[in-house]
Amino acid sequence: MAQVSIGKLSDFPDGTPTFAEADGTRLCIVRVGDKVHAICDDCPHAEASLSEGDFLADDLAVECPLHGSAFNLESGDPDAPPATEAVQVFAVTVDGDDVRVEI
Amino acid sequence: MPITLIVGGGMAGRAAALTLRRVGYQGEIILVGDETTPPYDRPPLSKSVIVGKADLDKVIKPALATYAEDGIDLRLGVAVTSADAAAKTATLSDGSEVAWDALVIATGCAPREVPIPGLDKPGVFRITRLDEALAIQEVLSSGPKRLAVIGGGFIGMEAAAAAVAHGHTATVLEAAPEPMARPLGLAVAERVLRWATDRGVEVRAGVGVDEVLGDDRASGVRLADGDIIDADLVICAIGQVPRLELARLLGCEEAAGGIKVDTGMHTSVDGVYAVGDIAAFPSKWADEDRIRVEHAGVAIGHGQTAAEQIATGEGMFEDLPTFWSDQGDITLNMVGVPRPEDEIVWRGDQAIPACTAFYLRDGKLRAAMSVGDMKTLRGVRKLFAAGVSPTAEQLADPDADLAALAAG
Repeated sequence: MAQVSIGKLSDFPDGTPTFAEADGTRLCIVRVGDKVHAICDDCPHAEASLSEGDFLADDLAVECPLHGSAFNLESGDPDAPPATEAVQVFAVTVDGDDVRVEI
Repeated sequence: MPITLIVGGGMAGRAAALTLRRVGYQGEIILVGDETTPPYDRPPLSKSVIVGKADLDKVIKPALATYAEDGIDLRLGVAVTSADAAAKTATLSDGSEVAWDALVIATGCAPREVPIPGLDKPGVFRITRLDEALAIQEVLSSGPKRLAVIGGGFIGMEAAAAAVAHGHTATVLEAAPEPMARPLGLAVAERVLRWATDRGVEVRAGVGVDEVLGDDRASGVRLADGDIIDADLVICAIGQVPRLELARLLGCEEAAGGIKVDTGMHTSVDGVYAVGDIAAFPSKWADEDRIRVEHAGVAIGHGQTAAEQIATGEGMFEDLPTFWSDQGDITLNMVGVPRPEDEIVWRGDQAIPACTAFYLRDGKLRAAMSVGDMKTLRGVRKLFAAGVSPTAEQLADPDADLAALAAG
């Protein structure tokens, strides 16, 4: 486990999934107010980048742009098929302006 | 200890096996599959596997270790040869006997037999199983090839589009005048077809295939009108038929070309469930008494529901049916149960394409097919959930917020 800096808080627009890479791990980052969430960017169902999907504020989830399964940012669980597996969730620390992900 | 026997290692059978433990089932789980490969995702076969773009570790999933951890007894390369509904037993092709308390039939479909001479030649492929898709991949990996694809359904169109996107040429041969008209309706099918031909897929519709040509290996096909399509390989994607033998052996009641079930996936025979392609299930989203759906999302939902029923006696499959089709860089996402005769209302730019086709019946929204516009499709789901049907004018208006209309 290592804490890897992925950028400044201002690098991540509020409520907009944004791609980041930390030590070779592809991440989908979503800032919601002061809180930052990080999940694996690769949809577990098919080849799609979750950071290209929409953030669903009501469900605290990111919707896959290809087939529409939405992944909860806290549990990683999909809401409905076609995805059936959870996406990996990473712990995020915000230290001042520095955003760090535990890899 | 109770025993659940699942027959069929496809999307539905796998979902049933994996869900059982997740919902607390304590009994024994036996999953029987007639392929030697562990259960895998079938949708990628005609999309990414044939062109070598699939990570097989992600297609064949979960890892075998997961079955061991879950205590699922995976028996691969075996079929059920006989079964007895009263004694609740089954005999497998390896000679073993299984006594079951619950039996989940997830036998899926078999490729349709077609009387075209020459389909048995080397160089003719099906895409119903992983080994077949990998055999196509092997041929395509050695450089640009010419494909003749018999059958203009989703599988055939997906395979042709994937091949063309990876530098091959493909001609789709469809006997019906309009490919995909039955699942999509004529207006939408015409549009999807144009996107495919714009991207370089050749389509010959309204003409049958008389014969696969070639001496020791397929070299092309001869059409009913005498034309010859030269090809390095021929893919036969002409459809599939439900495998009902086991369910019939057990005396399960039939409907809609499949096995009749209720919303809990119970067949008419005590302790026997039918899931996936073979299940004729009631759906509040359809007008028919029972429907059958041959798509992965529904199959997974069926498997999950049967598992809940077996473990807890509760759970109903009431999901809005959905499916998707990846055709090269175009992804179709359908929600709802369309009919070919539905009235179509379009929203968005059909040329890009980023648009949605709404299917209306008697003025009511019944289904929607979207390309590159998940936001609109999300609005449609909310409309269905709320039981709200906007006017055709509202549906066509890109500024009309469907989610807001659903919220009232």
